[in-house]
Amino acid sequence: MKGRRPLVLIVDDEPDMCWVLTNLLGKDRFDLRVAQTGEAALKLFESNRFDIALLDAKLTDMDGLDLARRLKSIDSSVNIVMISGYYYDDHVDIREVMNEGFIMAFISKPFVHDEVMGILRDIGCH
Amino acid sequence: MGMKPLRLIAGSDPHRYEDMFGMFLESIPSSVLLISRELRVIFANRNFITKSRRTQQDVIGQKLEQVLPEAIIEHIDITSKVREVFRQNRAITGDRMTYRAPGIPIRTYYYSILPFAWRGDVEDIILLMDDVTEQVRLSEEVRRVERHLASVVESARDVVLSTDPDGTVLTWNTAAERITGYPSWQVKGSSFFERCVPEATQALRNVFNELGAIDSPQTGEWELLTKNSSKIPISWVFSSMKDERESPVGVVAVGRDLSEHRKLEMQLLQSQKLAALGVMAGGIAHEIRNPLAVCSSAAQFLRNSQIEPEFRQECVSKILDGINKASSIIENLLRFARPSSSSEMNPIDIVHVIGDALQLVSNQAKIEKIAIMVDFPKPPMAVYGNANLLQQVFLNLFLNAFNSMPEGGTLTVSVRPCRAEAQISIEDSGHGIAPEHLEKIFDPFFTLSSVGKGTGLGLSICYSIMRQHLGNIEVQSIEGEGTVFTVYLPLL
Repeated sequence: MKGRRPLVLIVDDEPDMCWVLTNLLGKDRFDLRVAQTGEAALKLFESNRFDIALLDAKLTDMDGLDLARRLKSIDSSVNIVMISGYYYDDHVDIREVMNEGFIMAFISKPFVHDEVMGILRDIGCH
Repeated sequence: MGMKPLRLIAGSDPHRYEDMFGMFLESIPSSVLLISRELRVIFANRNFITKSRRTQQDVIGQKLEQVLPEAIIEHIDITSKVREVFRQNRAITGDRMTYRAPGIPIRTYYYSILPFAWRGDVEDIILLMDDVTEQVRLSEEVRRVERHLASVVESARDVVLSTDPDGTVLTWNTAAERITGYPSWQVKGSSFFERCVPEATQALRNVFNELGAIDSPQTGEWELLTKNSSKIPISWVFSSMKDERESPVGVVAVGRDLSEHRKLEMQLLQSQKLAALGVMAGGIAHEIRNPLAVCSSAAQFLRNSQIEPEFRQECVSKILDGINKASSIIENLLRFARPSSSSEMNPIDIVHVIGDALQLVSNQAKIEKIAIMVDFPKPPMAVYGNANLLQQVFLNLFLNAFNSMPEGGTLTVSVRPCRAEAQISIEDSGHGIAPEHLEKIFDPFFTLSSVGKGTGLGLSICYSIMRQHLGNIEVQSIEGEGTVFTVYLPLL
C-alpha cells in the first residue's frame, strides 16, 4: 500500500450517501470507486484489488451482509466496513458477521466523521 | 211488521206458520228454550237437546234449574234473571255464560233472555243461547298472538317500525324511541325519511320505490337523527308488507344500531394499523436515518471554515434536501398512524391512494429485496371512499405479499378500469396459499403466521372495509408461484 493511495469501494444505493463518503474520504488520500448495487460491486471486484470496501447493509438488489461474504470469498484480504441505518452494532446479524471475520467494523448512520476516519486509520490504510 | 213477509209466504193458515217457525227453530245454530212463568221448560230446540246431550223427555216440563247445570244456575243466577224479565218485561241481551254439559269441555255462550208478551202480559220467556266457544277461543288466540308479537317488537333491541307505502310512520317501537329519543306518538304520522339524515332521503325514496316493484327485501346503512341532533349509524332491512291479495300496504323496517359496532371496528382498525406500523418500523428507521446521516455529514463538512464556497453551497442544499426527505417520510407515516376519526366517504383518486401506500412500504421492500412494478393508468381514477381506510387495505395487502416472499421477489401492482369498476390487482411471486386455506383467509383470526407475528385480522379487516365501500376483494393463488389479490371498487 506504500506509495499509492488505498483503493476504496463505496457501495450505497443512496447517491447522497455516496456523495458524503466521497467527500469525507477525499480523492487526494484515497482512490475511490462507487457502486450503487451489489452486482456493480461484485463486478468491480472482479477486476480490482480493493484495500477497503464500505458497504451499506441494505441494498436494492441484495443484502449487504451477503455481499460482504461474497466479496470476502473473492478477495479475502479486503477490509470491509459496514455502514447502516437499519442495524445497530449489537444486532445479532452484525455480531455474527463480525465474529466470523467478514467485516472489520460497523458504523451506524448518522456517523461522526472522526470516528469513520479513526476506523480507517486503525485498519492501517490511512 | 216483521211478520209481513212470512204472511206472504204462509198465507193465513196457522199450520203453515207453525211448520215454518218449527223449521227455523230446528235449523238455527242457537239453543232456544221457551220457559213458563213457573220456570219450567216448555220448549227446547234441537240445538239445545244436542248440545246438552239430553232427550226431549229429559227437558220438556222440567224446572229450568234441572235442565241447566248447577254451575250456571249458581254462577250467573239465571233463575233470578228470568224472574226479573217476567217482572220488568224487559229483555236482557248479550251476556256471556260458560256452560259445561257432562262429559264435554267447557263452552261459552252468549245468552239473551227475551220476554214474550201478549197484550201487555209476559206469558213466557225465551232463553236464547249462542255457542261462541270457538269465537272466544279464536279471539283470545288472536289477542295472545297480538300481545306476543307486540312484546317481540317492543322488547327487541333493534329498531322495528312500519310505514305506509309512502313512508308515513305507522308504528315505532321502544328501541326506536330509546335510540332517537322521539316518543312513538310524536313520530307516528310523520315521514320516516325526515327521521334519517337528509343525505339519505333520496336513497331511501329509491328503496321504497323498489320495494313496491320487486319482492326481495332491501338493505343499506343510513343514519337516524336523534332528538339532540346527533346521528346514529343504522343497518337497515326494509321489507314490503302485503295484504292477503299480495298488494303492498306498507313497509316494515328493522334497523340495528351500529354505534358500538363502529367503535369496536375503529379500535380494531387502529390496532391493526399499529401492528402494520410495527412491521414497517425497521424500514422507516432506515429510511429516516439515511437523510439524517447526509445532514449530519454535510454539517460536519461545514464546520471546516476552509472549504470552497461551491462545496459549502452543496452542503447546505444537501442538508435542506435531507430534512425535507425525513419530514415527508414522517408526515406520510403520521397520516397513516392517525386514528381515522370517521369513516366518512368522499370522492377520491384511487391511484393516488395506492401510490401513497406504496410509498409507505417502499423502504420495507428494499430491505426485503422485493422489486415493485406498477402499471397505473393516468390519474385521476375517481371512486367514492375513505382514503385512510383504503390505504390501510392496500398497505395490508402489500405487507402480506412481502411476508409471502421471505427470499425476496416481485410485487406487481396494477390498476385498470373494468366496466364500472376500478380493478386493482396486487400480485406477488411468493410461496402462495394452499387451496385448503384459501377460503379461510378472510376469516377473522385465521392466520398462517407464527404466533406473535400476524394478528390474523388483516384480511378480515380488508374485507369489511371493501364491503363498506360496496367493493369486493378476491384471491387467486398457486402454491409455489404466487398470489393475486384483486380489489374491485365502483367508479364514480
